[in-house]
Amino acid sequence: MTDDVILPKRRSVAAPNWWSSLKVLLRADGTAQVRTSQSLVLTFALPLILLVATGLGKNSAALGGPAFRISLALTVGLVSIGTVGYSLAIARDRDTGVFQRLRVTPAPTWTIMVSRWIVQLGAVLVMAIVVLVVAAVFVGITLPPQDYLFTVLVTLLGSAVFLSIGQAIVGLIASADTLNAAGRLLYVPLIGLSVFGNTDRLGTTVELVSRWSPGGCLETLLSAAMGATAWSGQSWGALFASVGYTVVFAVIGIRWFRWVSH
Amino acid sequence: MLEIPALTRALRVTGLRVTYGPFVAVDGIDLEVREGEIYGLLGPNGAGKTSALSAIEGLLRPAAGDIVIGDIDARAHQLQAKAQLGVQLQTTSFQSNLRLVELVRLFAGLYGVTLSPAQIGELLEEINLKHEASKRFRELSGGQQQRFSLLIATIHDPALVLLDEPTAGLDPQARRQLWDRIERFRKEGRSILLTTHSMEEAQAVCDRVAIMDHGKILTVGTPAAVIAAHRDDPKVRQAAHGEVTLEDVFIALTGRELRD
Repeated sequence: MTDDVILPKRRSVAAPNWWSSLKVLLRADGTAQVRTSQSLVLTFALPLILLVATGLGKNSAALGGPAFRISLALTVGLVSIGTVGYSLAIARDRDTGVFQRLRVTPAPTWTIMVSRWIVQLGAVLVMAIVVLVVAAVFVGITLPPQDYLFTVLVTLLGSAVFLSIGQAIVGLIASADTLNAAGRLLYVPLIGLSVFGNTDRLGTTVELVSRWSPGGCLETLLSAAMGATAWSGQSWGALFASVGYTVVFAVIGIRWFRWVSH
Repeated sequence: MLEIPALTRALRVTGLRVTYGPFVAVDGIDLEVREGEIYGLLGPNGAGKTSALSAIEGLLRPAAGDIVIGDIDARAHQLQAKAQLGVQLQTTSFQSNLRLVELVRLFAGLYGVTLSPAQIGELLEEINLKHEASKRFRELSGGQQQRFSLLIATIHDPALVLLDEPTAGLDPQARRQLWDRIERFRKEGRSILLTTHSMEEAQAVCDRVAIMDHGKILTVGTPAAVIAAHRDDPKVRQAAHGEVTLEDVFIALTGRELRD
């Protein structure tokens, strides 16, 4: 109960600006990303394994040339980060109340999510550089200097596509467990469609669907960026389709996103 | 007991209404927490306590009502209002891959407070967690988690601290320690709005309590005043086994049936 005490006068605390909030969130999210072993495997190990594995065996050339090997490695990395790594991390933090704890602070709500996106883009950038360096140094696949720049830029566009797909998944599915299962189910067709965009072995319909799937469009753009194919009308189509996918999935993911899972 | 005059209000809520679709969780409540006061919001599960707190914390948008924290209109200046609040949620979780020292730095930074490593060490030492500085939150015991959560809630020296069932799941030692810390907050001039299921603790520690059910506040006052006001109520008499307690009044006002 109240004792006879002299109460110190409390003063108002000023809310920090958004940039300060974003900086501390970036530092924390970056640290968390580096410490997540699953994300490291998905980000680096899987693309590198594919890069090497697609060069093994007699029929490797039939899958596509060196550019295809790099683009497949990058696409798998992007699909993994977006649909599995990112969405699952968001769903878990939502389930456990991490976001609610952050939302009661004076950090603008949008900074919480933007920080996550920037960290994922950073991870994608590092992954692209590692894949290209390993391809050059250990696998002997080199590109003209300007093609490296285009490849990295296309990879960043691809990361926007797959992060927005991840955002849509986490917007539409409330529970982390359900999302984990759905993410794995989506993972296989997304990768499969990326692989078969280059071949009509499964028929022209599959090839058409595959070519215009998010992964297929990315493959088309990466091929053009690496100079394996000339920039053409189809490349423009893939570029517009990729931007379209990003906008549509981002709108779905943001519109239906909930900060709590119940 | 000395009544604190209501010279300055730490929080004023008027006509607060929170709805989830057609369900009305909080039905036009008014409440006022005075500076340096411990105010207990009591009620059975589903009474609307957490919804009311969530609206004050800015976690959900009320359907109607005004919330003024200090002299800041919380609905018009949400971030500025949040900066005045220290919040401990009912279930607290922090980023699972961050160490305690990193979490302290993160949350201090979110309130615009810069702490040196030595200052962070001192803060952790104050709550007996200095040796756990490099552990993750999930690796702490329940009592340690509670102490750490409270440290994070008050890292920016807020004027008003909101605690949602702070003693839930704690052993008697940890509960006693927590109440000591809450009492210390008050002596430092903070105001505390808390929810609890422990009527004994509310009666012993809170300056004023409000009993809430079905989204409405049924009664409000000092524990002694609430008991005195309902002492002669036949339902209270029926609930009491001897001297009337706050719990008897609570049971009489909110009913005996179990709530989910």
